[in-house]
Amino acid sequence: MTDSGEVRDVTRRNFLRGLAGAAGAAMAIAALEDLAANPDQALASYEAQIALAAKQAGLSTTTGQLDILERMHQELARAIVKPASDRRWVMVIDLRKCVGCHACTIACVAENKLPPGVVYRPVLEEETGDFPNVKRQFIPRPCMQCDNPPCVPVCPVEATYKNEDGVVVVDYEQCIGCRACLAACPYGARTSDFGYTYIEDTIPKSEGLIVGREAADDYERAANYEYGKAWSREDEGKSPRGNARKCHFCLHRIKVGELPACVTTCIGRATMFGDAKDSDSLVSEMIAQPNVMRLKEEMGTEPRVYYLV
Amino acid sequence: MLKKILYGLGAVALLLGLYGFYNRLFIGERDVNYGSYVNWGLWVAMYLFFAGLSSGSYMVATLDYLFEVPLFKGTGKYALWAAMVTLPAGLVSIGMDLGHMERIWKVYLQPNPSSLLAQMVWGYTIFSMVILLSLWLVSQANTPKPIIKGLMVVGFVMAIFVSGGVGALLGVNASRAVWHVGLLPAQFPIFSLATGVALMLTILSFFGSAEDTRRLRQVRVLSIATVVLLLVKTYFLWADLSMSLYSGVPQNVDAINEMLYGQYWWSFWILQIGLGTILPMIVLVLPNMYKQPLWVGITGVLVLVGFGAARANIVFPALAIPELEGLATAFTGPHLGFEYFPSFMEWSVTIGLVGAATLAFLLGLDFLPFLGTQKHTEVTK
Repeated sequence: MTDSGEVRDVTRRNFLRGLAGAAGAAMAIAALEDLAANPDQALASYEAQIALAAKQAGLSTTTGQLDILERMHQELARAIVKPASDRRWVMVIDLRKCVGCHACTIACVAENKLPPGVVYRPVLEEETGDFPNVKRQFIPRPCMQCDNPPCVPVCPVEATYKNEDGVVVVDYEQCIGCRACLAACPYGARTSDFGYTYIEDTIPKSEGLIVGREAADDYERAANYEYGKAWSREDEGKSPRGNARKCHFCLHRIKVGELPACVTTCIGRATMFGDAKDSDSLVSEMIAQPNVMRLKEEMGTEPRVYYLV
Repeated sequence: MLKKILYGLGAVALLLGLYGFYNRLFIGERDVNYGSYVNWGLWVAMYLFFAGLSSGSYMVATLDYLFEVPLFKGTGKYALWAAMVTLPAGLVSIGMDLGHMERIWKVYLQPNPSSLLAQMVWGYTIFSMVILLSLWLVSQANTPKPIIKGLMVVGFVMAIFVSGGVGALLGVNASRAVWHVGLLPAQFPIFSLATGVALMLTILSFFGSAEDTRRLRQVRVLSIATVVLLLVKTYFLWADLSMSLYSGVPQNVDAINEMLYGQYWWSFWILQIGLGTILPMIVLVLPNMYKQPLWVGITGVLVLVGFGAARANIVFPALAIPELEGLATAFTGPHLGFEYFPSFMEWSVTIGLVGAATLAFLLGLDFLPFLGTQKHTEVTK
């Protein structure tokens, strides 16, 4: 086998890279434990270790700088050990980099196990101009996590509010499902869970003809972990069925040092996330750019999602 | 004969409604056509209508018990009974719309006082108790007049508060340009009064006392009042439409165009303007028409249908305009659309509620002793 050496070589490289990745992950977990015990000392060590792991895994850029995903991870690690009032989560979306792949939408659906009809982060498509001067623009639209959210005061039972991190959340067990918040949102960023499941409601019912149907059904009914709690779809009448639902910047991921699902899956690194109160953070740099804008700023909602145009 | 027909229609409507009630209570919201974008549908529109009808009827009752207008002496109890049967229809309609109706108690025990919706739940609860107490007091022969008058003042204020409040419920949403006008809460009590007057016109035309020599004059005065209130409503409508179109704010203009020429054109032009406004105005100003109680009563029903359509035309078009361009096609799924026509289940519940309110009103007329003190006539006799 003349190719075997080459194949072996590639396999070995991949193996080593994987090993480095696994080591990096292990170090990251250990570092997170350290962070909790001794934040200041552990932080410097953690940053160094994660940089090394990233380098070994081939995530460094050609200029020697970290991939922005790794940079954001580091910044996230710095931010989550701060008191909630000392950080300000913001999202920056570079529209020049968005290619409209919808990976963020799908990642969000998978992460939060969203049922049919519920979407947190659609990507809007806009085509302007006449041939040959045509422009196609993609605008991912998560919840804006407004600092002056119109959806909050209208809720009759205070089921939706800004949490200590400034993220607008929904208390599923408090929500009565009146959809007043849906009417109040100027961005259409909330959807209502009408109780559907993909398996039961979108696939034609033909018992036995679809391989893995039962397993998929079980998977779909198993709990998601929004807001750090298990929300099963086993019971027809239970929340989050019947509730208003929305993007929450993947708070359950942030809590354990992971970036929101839409950020990690963005193939063009168009979506950035971090603490705007950290002056060294990537998002702080980005929102200081002159080409930054926010949707419907004139409404005074003070969105925390910024767009680079 | 007329009463028998109405009993029959009411019973059939209620039977039709049973399907909707069963579907909603035991299956859920899957068979509704409102969704995440057009998030309020027929049931919310009917809540606005029935609740407005109730507060309007209470306002009409004050002609008798508070302002003591001699012409309307003895009619207040019918207005109060009408308020009593229409309010539950409105509250059930909005209750059906809740994703978790079993949690309604939270609005009482854990309310958000700044929420208009919470204020309305509290307001309607107090208002329903005021109606009930008013009915009880007026049914007692020896209730001192000052007590009734005092309660009617409270009820009158509550009627304006709750009917204006539902206007504010929509109006506070700056996200919906077409709702976000200061006059909306001011318009709604007038709309409520108009529906209350039209309902009273129908009641007196259909069931007015045979021996009461004032009956024709009552019908005449209520006919004129209905026409005046329709003119006021039309003026408000003109003000809203012209201001919105003239300003050119895209979301506002789009919503108005949706109402005038979009998917709801028939509701606006045929039900609201044609059958609900122009035809009644013509019929009610015709000389001697007030001597034809059957036709006047039917005209009163048409006015009510027009106001029902008007409530829907306030709610649906505003929600049928995407908040952001491209939202309609960005992600597809059930209940993710900007086109809305009520489902059979939604119609079923609404028809059932109309039937239940009609039956309740007729049963009250026939079996509540204090409502039966005067003999009713039937227009066909």
